[in-house]
Amino acid sequence: MNKKISRVILAMVLLSVFLRASFRKEDVKIHRLDNGLKILLAEDHGIPNLALFTFFRVGSRNERAGLTGVSHFIEHMMFNGTAKFGPGQFDRRMEFRGGSNNAYTSQDLTAYTDWFPAAALETMIEMEADRMQGLAFVPAALESERGVVASERRLGVENDNDGLLGENVVATAIMAHPYHWDVIGWMSDIQSWRRDDILAYYRTFYAPNNAVLILVGDFDSAKALELIRRYYSPIPSGTPPPTLTTVEPAQLGAKQVTIRKEAQTPSFQMVFHAPAGRDGDFPPLSILDKVLLQGESSRLYRRLVRQEQLAISVGGGVAETIDPFLFSIEVKPRQGADLVRLESVIGEELEKVRTEAISESEFQKALNMIRSNFYAGLQTISGKANQLGLAEIMYNDYEKLFTMMDRYSAVKREDVREAARKYLTDNNKTVGKLIPEGGAQ
Amino acid sequence: MKKLTLLAGILIFGLVLPAFVGGDFRLPPPEKIVLDNGLTVYYLRNSDLPLVNFRILVLGTGTAYEPAEEEGVADLTAQLLLKGTTEIDAEAVAETLDFMGANLEVRARDEFTEVSGECLTQYFPRLMEITGSCLLKPAFKEEEFIKERAKRIDGIKAAKDDPNEAVRLYFRKAYFGTHPLGHLAGGTETSLKKMGLQELTHFYLAHFRPDQVIAAVVGDVSREDLVSLLKKHFGIWRNPASAKPALSLPPLPKISAKKLVLVDKPDASQAYFILGSPGYPMGDAVTPAADVMNTLFGGRFTSWLSTELRIKRGLTYGAYSSFQPWRSGGLFTSASFTRNEKIGEMLDITFDLLKKAREQGFSAEEIESAHNYILGQFPPSLETNGRKAGAFTELAFYGLGFDYYTKLLQKIQDVSPEAAREAALRLLPQEGYVLLVLGKESEISSLLKKFGTFQKKRISDPDF
Repeated sequence: MNKKISRVILAMVLLSVFLRASFRKEDVKIHRLDNGLKILLAEDHGIPNLALFTFFRVGSRNERAGLTGVSHFIEHMMFNGTAKFGPGQFDRRMEFRGGSNNAYTSQDLTAYTDWFPAAALETMIEMEADRMQGLAFVPAALESERGVVASERRLGVENDNDGLLGENVVATAIMAHPYHWDVIGWMSDIQSWRRDDILAYYRTFYAPNNAVLILVGDFDSAKALELIRRYYSPIPSGTPPPTLTTVEPAQLGAKQVTIRKEAQTPSFQMVFHAPAGRDGDFPPLSILDKVLLQGESSRLYRRLVRQEQLAISVGGGVAETIDPFLFSIEVKPRQGADLVRLESVIGEELEKVRTEAISESEFQKALNMIRSNFYAGLQTISGKANQLGLAEIMYNDYEKLFTMMDRYSAVKREDVREAARKYLTDNNKTVGKLIPEGGAQ
Repeated sequence: MKKLTLLAGILIFGLVLPAFVGGDFRLPPPEKIVLDNGLTVYYLRNSDLPLVNFRILVLGTGTAYEPAEEEGVADLTAQLLLKGTTEIDAEAVAETLDFMGANLEVRARDEFTEVSGECLTQYFPRLMEITGSCLLKPAFKEEEFIKERAKRIDGIKAAKDDPNEAVRLYFRKAYFGTHPLGHLAGGTETSLKKMGLQELTHFYLAHFRPDQVIAAVVGDVSREDLVSLLKKHFGIWRNPASAKPALSLPPLPKISAKKLVLVDKPDASQAYFILGSPGYPMGDAVTPAADVMNTLFGGRFTSWLSTELRIKRGLTYGAYSSFQPWRSGGLFTSASFTRNEKIGEMLDITFDLLKKAREQGFSAEEIESAHNYILGQFPPSLETNGRKAGAFTELAFYGLGFDYYTKLLQKIQDVSPEAAREAALRLLPQEGYVLLVLGKESEISSLLKKFGTFQKKRISDPDF
């Protein structure tokens, strides 16, 4: 089929599908309080519940040596008491009213995700507003939570070979920018953060002008807005947090990191410096990661798992981050696999994408994957709240969520090859290997 | 993250069946479609998004129905269904699915094989065609079998490198022993090495038949289109002449004494435990009381276990308990992990809490909180097409009726503190339990002595 025609047809299909979707830009109403708090409201009466998500513009990229992991630690402390509601009260009051919650921290943001029956709205808004600036950091609760986070690190890094290798690879690839360390932080920092430093960090970043509040679900907008105003308006805005000025210097040659430890199977990762989520080169690389790594028809799965039988799985890709991060290729090799051979097979496949454009069918496959994931993420009120919040943090503009597909369908196949040439180069590469020692059969 | 995703998953999954309707929200009843060959499909239209989701259960093909010496055959058969048919080879299956951005998974669960799929509306006809071809006309190619088996054997070794995963596999074996519910979906090194392709083809021919299928389709597709697709791609499936096999399992282990197992993983800096004892069968009258009781004991963030082990003492990132019901019986488990030197303290607290729940039960305020919590968390647990399709197939399989949740709601609201305590007395372990600990033996064995004599295993030994 003629390339141009197929592109036009595809665009039409995308457009028609889009117009049919129940969640549209017009469904979201934006408000801003005088103290700078941005509020997004989207009524959705599918279930008698609400999703209240609060995003703060703070993550591990805002940390410094000695305070690594503190953004994530504050996420934990947010459940450990304010002057008004003592330690544990937030969860007890919320669960008593039928609510549940979780929270997550990334390199760029911290999100508090509450989902609860409609009748609990005022309780939840009151408690969320209260903990935006009222955390008490009770010393006993702080020490106990330090143990929880240490356990979380043991679970996800120290006792997880892929997690351990990942931490080493990222820290090797990125030397100057705070993406150097994992969101969980170094164990010695977890053990020694001081209360005063934690408190100062909290005061810097937890302010209405550094947050976005998103409410999706079964509510009346006028009433909800009135409640939000009542509880949030008295909170003063903060001094705008300092901006991060560190820029990762260009890498000038391939790097390598090796871990030797007791294990039955090796681990393997290869990463390249990649652009920020806003960068024009991000969409082509995101399309490329689908072609190389996603699904059993992907090029690296076919080569490494099916043909050469060197591995049991492949994964990775680019992450949409505020600052430039990495394009990663993560492979679970078979026991005793020849890692040198594995690395050279990946090298061969990367050479192909640097020299030839991907096929039209691969290109459309990537777009279909992106589109499917997009809709799957909008199936729930929590999913919608999360997508809106991420768009706000990444682009300062939730409307970008609704034009996200346009950004991808505007990519040309040649752009993918050019992006591969620019980023997936030898000088830009870091290879990590975990090699089993002792203990194994 | 504040909580383990695992924990969140268990909470929500635990609620999908033993939970109830919140407010005026209820599971919408599906329409029943039966093909001439007996294949039954429950259908609900939802055109909010251009997506369609489906679930297909093939009864009697779960891991518990495997021949004892062929552990892992059910899930390997399930996997091979996606690895080529008489019409389309393995690479073309993968290529077609990926091109559509569609998901199609086939997994052996304990009591059935579950086929689940989701795609954009425009690709639903093609996804039905592929799914029909995979289920009805699998090629069972020798080379695909060899590749999958090799991947699985290495997958078991990779699982043993991950203590959080390994502890579940070892526990399952320790608890069920030779009972069919002890079969691990991924098999064992020994069972996989002995297995040939003929075991898979035999398993498939003996168990996969349309009169054993319960399916559900939820999403953006009209009834007419769905019926015509079903007839076209599944109508030609014929039942064998043999009678429909009975779906029964031997009684579950009684566990009247304690059994202690220690798995040595010399590089572990954290010790992981699972404690298990008999639960109750799906649909049992104790369900509402057990659900309330477990919510308070270890089923949510402010539960007793989580409060004492995590919130107050900072011993762990996560602590939970749950009930797993099957048709013929069930299982209670409680689990957590902590740094090596604290495992003794963690187990002491866990046993103390079990004793306290049995002896003192729960306050009226706690019971009210559990009612509200289960009620409030119910609607989101059925929000997606996939959750609804899953609920339809499971409710149909267990014969509970599509108003099951509505009725359970009423019963849960009536659970009194006394009823919750009775559930604790009946279901929380006292004398009979299986305790499996996985960690660094040299650092933890002295801390475990007071709990009794542990049978010892080494993670580097084959199997579980």
